[in-house]
Amino acid sequence: MTEPNLRIRGLTKSFGGVRALDGVDLTVPGGRVHALLGHNGAGKSTLIRCLGGAFPPDAGTIEVGGTSHTRLSPRESIAAGVAIIFQTLSVVDSLTVAENIFLGQEWTRYGRIDRRAQEEVAAGLLERVAATCSPRDRVSELPMGQRQLVEIAKALSRSASVLVLDEPTAALSGTESEALAERVEDLRTQGLAIVYVTHLLGEVERLADEVTVLRDGRVSHHARMTGQSRRDLVEAITGRTSKGRGAYHGAAPPRGHDQPPPTPRPRPNRLTLDALQGPRFGPVDLTVAEGEIVALYGLIGSGRTSLLETIYGRHPATAGNLHVGTRTVRPSRPSDALAARIALVPGDRRAQALFPVLSAQDNALLPSIRRMARLSIRSTRAERRVFGTLSDAVALRPARPDLPAAAFSGGNQQKLVLGRWINEAREVDVLLLDEPTQGVDIGARQEIYGVVRTLAAERGTAVLFASNDPEEVVALAHRCLIVRAGRVAGELSGPELTEAALLSAVHEGAA
Amino acid sequence: MTTLTAARAMSYGRLTAVRRHPLLAVLAVLVLVFQVTTGSFLDAGNLRGIATDAATLAIVAVPLALLVISGYLDLSVGSTLALGGLVAGWLAGEQHQSPVVAVLGALAVGAAVGAVNGVLCCYLGLSAFIVTLGMLTAVRGLAQQVFPLPLSGFGAGFAWLGGSRIAGVDAPVVIAALVLVAGASFLAFTPAGRHVFAIGVNREAAHLSGIAVRRAPFALFVVTGVAAALAGAIKASVLDSAVAGTSGAGFELTVLTAVLLGGVALSGGSGSVFGVLLGVLFLGSLQNGLTLLNVPAFWQQMAQGVALVAGAALAFLGPRTTR
Repeated sequence: MTEPNLRIRGLTKSFGGVRALDGVDLTVPGGRVHALLGHNGAGKSTLIRCLGGAFPPDAGTIEVGGTSHTRLSPRESIAAGVAIIFQTLSVVDSLTVAENIFLGQEWTRYGRIDRRAQEEVAAGLLERVAATCSPRDRVSELPMGQRQLVEIAKALSRSASVLVLDEPTAALSGTESEALAERVEDLRTQGLAIVYVTHLLGEVERLADEVTVLRDGRVSHHARMTGQSRRDLVEAITGRTSKGRGAYHGAAPPRGHDQPPPTPRPRPNRLTLDALQGPRFGPVDLTVAEGEIVALYGLIGSGRTSLLETIYGRHPATAGNLHVGTRTVRPSRPSDALAARIALVPGDRRAQALFPVLSAQDNALLPSIRRMARLSIRSTRAERRVFGTLSDAVALRPARPDLPAAAFSGGNQQKLVLGRWINEAREVDVLLLDEPTQGVDIGARQEIYGVVRTLAAERGTAVLFASNDPEEVVALAHRCLIVRAGRVAGELSGPELTEAALLSAVHEGAA
Repeated sequence: MTTLTAARAMSYGRLTAVRRHPLLAVLAVLVLVFQVTTGSFLDAGNLRGIATDAATLAIVAVPLALLVISGYLDLSVGSTLALGGLVAGWLAGEQHQSPVVAVLGALAVGAAVGAVNGVLCCYLGLSAFIVTLGMLTAVRGLAQQVFPLPLSGFGAGFAWLGGSRIAGVDAPVVIAALVLVAGASFLAFTPAGRHVFAIGVNREAAHLSGIAVRRAPFALFVVTGVAAALAGAIKASVLDSAVAGTSGAGFELTVLTAVLLGGVALSGGSGSVFGVLLGVLFLGSLQNGLTLLNVPAFWQQMAQGVALVAGAALAFLGPRTTR
């Protein structure tokens, strides 16, 4: 048997006394896809970064192509044949595809860059990854999926033998994700060792030959994928058995087809869209009843985000009407929507929602401190109290008001953002969520679902959320609207609402 | 995960005043060195001189710091200061208006300059750097066009602004103290004060949180303009003269240096009024001490520049703080 392309043994790394990695082993032979799972903070990123040479491990060895290293610099890592495609791509927008592929290893002729030769070779590499873009295209003009392929082509140009993909589908649409899955399968056939980091179990089941789950810096589970049940994986990731103590805060049990969310009795409509039109969508008619959770399922770019943002007043509606209860509202900015008791949890947490350097308390309460103030003076006592109940309600960890938001995991950051609209000082009748668990680990994901369900069931909040994750839609929604090209193209509810039905509904019109 | 965040938590934990403001230690050392070398640095008369010099700096530095925290910048304050001093002096001198009218006139002109900056930057979304750099030149030109000749002889009434003492303290120092307290209270006790941080950290997120993201920075532009004009009026009163070409020349950079030395991040979203006070006192002490030691003016300028870069390095290497 030949040497595996990648063999990591006993990798250990501490940060200030905290073990981020503790004796981790990982072996990936060529021609295999190895999925790496785990909560945010479980050690996945530390592992990848040690592999990429971002920092040296404290102990353990990294073997690439038979050569053993105790530490790697970024340069050595590339030279050894490791290519890492990070979530935030490292392509340079203002350069062309070919220039990006050869960045740092330019081909020169008489001291000048040999564009023609670069473009020729780039075309071959692009073909290998089935990219449709041309070597001369400017990267800034390409969709996300193509940019990612450019980065993979760049890895191939350096004859990488180990390819690490860090949540590669997080920013991709459904069709792009599907195309990427096919590329991963091709590259496996071409003999690359692929480490596939993801939160999405569906992708693991589809692509992986083996799986390693990290928890608290250790390997908590390692197995071949054949015969793995999803429940095993979820338990390995969360460290909870499904029978365990009532671990999910105020929540229904974990998602699954066995327990669809109960459909509420007919109730009055809280949110009504009457032929609403706005940028990239419309006209859209829809209603969300009191206590109802409705999903907008569709590809990225289908107009879901634009629809939610228009309801929230970020974009002007060009035609149609919006009613909250029986009142007609026409929000022209978010504060108008909030006055009508509509709130949005935006899709891009870092760009649109978070104040990383400000405290957790500020992050959760900034929109409401004016309401708690007396005579224009802030009431610190009221703020502390409201934050206390809020952090309990969303199960914030750690429940510290003073830590900056940047110190929290993605899931807990999302709880802070969600907490803005569900505290004593600020309650809403209509809650809009755009990709509510983007970049959120599985454990926190369940907690967020629990919070949303409780909100709908107990306070009668009407919830409208956009998602491109069929699992999420099935787990959370009472009813799902299929969005395609800015319009509602179908509706699924009750027993019809399954992942298979959602996938086929979207792919019908996608081509 | 919890352990990792706990470790991070420790580094974010309660910092002592010195760790939060490394400049405090630097200032203490500077004062000590100057006292030892000059022997007269801590004399009451000298301290009074430092305080008066630092007062005009502080009056402008505080609102400018708030503006920088909210993610904007105002480079036009040097010219606004000149125009404010000229308008006040002209009203008090040539026009024989009461000192109150003279000062109000200057403030109105400062407010107008600030409002122009504010509309262009906050409501039209132009770059604050470009807009206020343009205004720095334009307002200076305006001042020279309207007041081509130096003004002086503003009368005893107007001299009150810069020269009188309130409870034994010089009027400019009292005004500066009020501005410092007002600025610190605004940040600590008012909702708008927190909003200013939020806008500076992430304007889009603040907007989507329902915070009025234009109003507060616009108001801060106006307040900064008013403060610069007030500082100009005070300087005109102290010197009993105002010159369109030279009054407040380079002031915008000195005041920005004080703000940045005080730990206000140029990228917005972090800083404190206490830090600004330290920055102002540091620059004031540096200048005064070096003058006492007969260090030539060019060397003083160099020291100021080195201090800023050293301060930036210190902030980069030291603990990262918020607030």
